Amino acid sequence: MKGMHGIIFSYEKKTGLRELIEHRVHGSIPFAGDYRVVDFMLSNMVNAGITDVGVIMHGKCQSLLDHLGTGKSWDLSRRTGGLTLLPAFAYAENRDSVGQFRGKMEALGCVVEYLEHIRQDHVVLCDSDLVINLPLQEVLNAHVAAGADITAVCTNVLGDGSDTYFKLDDIGRIRDTIYNIHTPEGCRCLNIFVLSKALLLKLVEDCMAHNQFSFRRYVLQERGRDLHLNAYIWDGYAARINTIETYFQRSMEMLRPELRAELFCPQRPILGKENDAPSSYIDPAGECVNALIADGCDVRGTVRGSVLFRGVQIEPGAVVENCVLFKGTVVKKGAVVRNVITDKYVTIRENTPLVGAGEYPLVIARGMEV
Amino acid sequence: MKKECVAMLLAGGQGSRLYVLTGDMAKPAVPFGGKFRIIDFPLSNCTNSGIDTVGVLTQYRPLELNSYIGNGQPWELDRMDGGVHILPPYQSATGASWYKGTANAIYQNIGFVDMYDPEYVAVLSGDHIYKMDYSDMLRCHKQSGAACTISVMEVPWSEASRFGIMAVDGEDRITEFAEKPKEPKSNLASMGIYIFTWQKLRQYLMEDEADPNSSNDFGKNIIPAMLHNGESMMAYRFDGYWKDVGTLDSLWDANMDMLLPGSGLNLLDKSWPIYGRTPVCPPTLLGPKADVANSAVAKGCTIFGEVKNSVMSTGATVGKGATVIYSVVMPGAVIEDGATVSYAIVGENCHIGAGAAVGAPPESAADPDQWGIAVLGPDTAVGPGETVAPRTMLDKSHNREVKA
Repeated sequence: MKGMHGIIFSYEKKTGLRELIEHRVHGSIPFAGDYRVVDFMLSNMVNAGITDVGVIMHGKCQSLLDHLGTGKSWDLSRRTGGLTLLPAFAYAENRDSVGQFRGKMEALGCVVEYLEHIRQDHVVLCDSDLVINLPLQEVLNAHVAAGADITAVCTNVLGDGSDTYFKLDDIGRIRDTIYNIHTPEGCRCLNIFVLSKALLLKLVEDCMAHNQFSFRRYVLQERGRDLHLNAYIWDGYAARINTIETYFQRSMEMLRPELRAELFCPQRPILGKENDAPSSYIDPAGECVNALIADGCDVRGTVRGSVLFRGVQIEPGAVVENCVLFKGTVVKKGAVVRNVITDKYVTIRENTPLVGAGEYPLVIARGMEV
Repeated sequence: MKKECVAMLLAGGQGSRLYVLTGDMAKPAVPFGGKFRIIDFPLSNCTNSGIDTVGVLTQYRPLELNSYIGNGQPWELDRMDGGVHILPPYQSATGASWYKGTANAIYQNIGFVDMYDPEYVAVLSGDHIYKMDYSDMLRCHKQSGAACTISVMEVPWSEASRFGIMAVDGEDRITEFAEKPKEPKSNLASMGIYIFTWQKLRQYLMEDEADPNSSNDFGKNIIPAMLHNGESMMAYRFDGYWKDVGTLDSLWDANMDMLLPGSGLNLLDKSWPIYGRTPVCPPTLLGPKADVANSAVAKGCTIFGEVKNSVMSTGATVGKGATVIYSVVMPGAVIEDGATVSYAIVGENCHIGAGAAVGAPPESAADPDQWGIAVLGPDTAVGPGETVAPRTMLDKSHNREVKA
């Protein structure tokens, strides 16, 4: 058995992330003060010994391209293998609609030559919008032990109707895949799949021959009865970032020490892009409590229950409460900001009050001066 | 390929005056300012000044320093041509010797410098905290056509006798050099930063090596010899922040200077960035009762207690009800609940047990002359409730107090 190969799908989708995906795809949304969402699955792969990762690019991928670079930060800048960026649809000559992402099988069909050259026996497919610290090696071991065709990672924690759910039988095999249901039930799919390279190639060929684009519909649902679909139940932390409300809630969860200890455990470190910022200077005029603070910040005002990304400046007399402030945000003197998410390089002017609703924060788009 | 200027960074010193902090590592590898190590300053200065070829001369306990510098990537010194090179002493057909002195260290690496056939060589120290544009100094050196340019700064007259003092003429031409003079003729102190015209230096290194009585040192031998022979030597005036962090007090002072407005060492200054190799860790978490003021905090810290006027390095932990004041806490140190750390340097990965007390403020001392900062070497464990008196130095073997 020659290890696993990683494939991460990064594509534009219609979700409730509004301003946060105006300039970027889900994978490059800043998260937890110092990371992009894609760092989590990418680190999971590296921590499981994966050395070759392909990232399927679609849509507004500039920000993700900047972030991934050569893959050096994840030790994926290699002579052979390493990180490969796959602008799949740039190769699609006879695709009728260029814009919309129509499914993973279509994307894979566009890069079938890349798939053929995969050096490993197994492939893990995943999305880029999941915050999780998952031991992928254990998933592969379980997959092999079960003799399954495809192993899907799922959780018993229910989500909303936009998620995919599985019905399992007594021995943990997936018997049905359901989607768009009003009342979620069953096991929630985390969109992480392990299968052999050979099966993946066969499925891609077959799906393309039938003009079938969706992995869920045409692999899990239509071919599900002919395949051994195995479920790997993950009972740790897993957060899909798909709406402003979940983004906000998940960000605030990072202030909980027990979740921090789980998600950033030293055995499986989450690797992000390194930076050159110095230490933060913290000298609040009021208090600075319950806060997650990245490097290079200058905190002179009051901060409570907030996440501060790199280089955020809070001037004296400013109050920041229950906020997520992206890189380079400046909150000027006397401004009061509550329940707000500011994208990169936002400036809040002097004495400006800016208050969102508790569960439904105000989002200020990148570069705005308010 | 030919380079205009190559930098040689002297990083071999034991830093014996840093005692417990340098038991296992060379002085330039000592952490500084939360995210950095001392050597980040000269290395970043090189990169920011456009010098892309740097030889780092190591000798004492080089493991930590070597692994830190690695391929030089954090300082953009991983070059196809040039880049950073670690230069330890080596064996050759005619024998082997340690670096006998700063000049001998360069002498032994004449081959390295010749490989790049440079016009000029900058000789730098690995234990100074400062931000300096070597390209401006090089420009002055070229303009004057001198054999050697020495960076100097004005120091208070009262302190001049602690430094190597340069007397200069009206055009800043060096007329005299005196190491720690009792009666200084000038208040221009050498900063230990030199730019030489390589062919001149090469010649003096050869002559110095041939002299069995020489101690093979730049300050003691090379500079006086050049002056004596009437070589053209210029002083380059520097008026920014500069500190030799060769002693524990000065290391603590320089860390505190980062928190002092107007000290000249601005932590958040973006105009002249300092680069460093940073470990992987999440941002710092401040707990619900954290009380942090006038402090530099690097990422990866977990702070539940009080931190005032202190430097917290990467991955340090301060428990509930613990207090850290006027202290430098190095990477990975853990200060348990209720412990007190004041006026101290806490080495890497130290563990201070619950309720322990390390150091004390100067005003608490009965005899101010007996007071000093407390220092814990790397990996030192202080048991719960234990007390470490001011001016004490402990290393990881703990039962052995290290005398200054």
